[in-house]
Amino acid sequence: METEAQRLKAAFHYTAARLCEEVAEDKGICFSRQAIAAVSEITFRQCEIFARDLEMFAKHGKRSTVNVEDVKLLARRSNSLLKHITQKSDELSLNNLEQKEKKKKKSAAKKGRRNSNEHEEPVAIVNEDSNMA
Amino acid sequence: VRREKREPSLPSNLVKKMFIHYVKMPVAKDALEAVERCVNLYFKHLSNDLEAYVNHARRKTAELADLELLMRRQGLITDKMPLNVLVERHLPMEYRKLLIPVARSGNKVIPQKPR
Repeated sequence: METEAQRLKAAFHYTAARLCEEVAEDKGICFSRQAIAAVSEITFRQCEIFARDLEMFAKHGKRSTVNVEDVKLLARRSNSLLKHITQKSDELSLNNLEQKEKKKKKSAAKKGRRNSNEHEEPVAIVNEDSNMA
Repeated sequence: VRREKREPSLPSNLVKKMFIHYVKMPVAKDALEAVERCVNLYFKHLSNDLEAYVNHARRKTAELADLELLMRRQGLITDKMPLNVLVERHLPMEYRKLLIPVARSGNKVIPQKPR
């Protein structure tokens, strides 16, 4: 019998191993199995903290949905991380805008034929207001 | 003779007394100076964080909710340790009366909640 947490932990562990492999290739070092396990465990526990904080921030903004602003507030303490996340969120919002325009064009044109080269990236957060408050 | 402008900070005597009260052991003078510098830095960080939280709630005024969030992120307030317990533990009676509403006879709540 496998619980949800165990499955999540296994997924974390797999991803951590992949990322550690990348770093190992990049830096020319080797990760022991215990090190990878420790990294995945740390990540798992850190995610609990992140989840709690994000929930608090959303509640503080009188929302029930976590949005990009909350994530930025979470990463506010470290400058480089904030810069990185801001850049990523800008990319995401641009992507969203492009997709919306495509949809608009499609709905405007109302052509019967389907676009075969459609590759929609899974976007976790749909950012409605991308303008910075 | 004009006094030179200094950064506003807590009185060093107060910081000293508080610190010695909590550590319960003799402290060297230079250590106390370091503690004072830490306190000033702490207030700097605190004000920055508070500003971010107030902006996040799209307000211009810091409220109790902002401070509660700040203390939660500092790990002072947890599910087992609510704000009111901390207030009762660490603040003198007159401040507690301002912060924690108390029901009195005649259906009066003192202090009345703002707005």
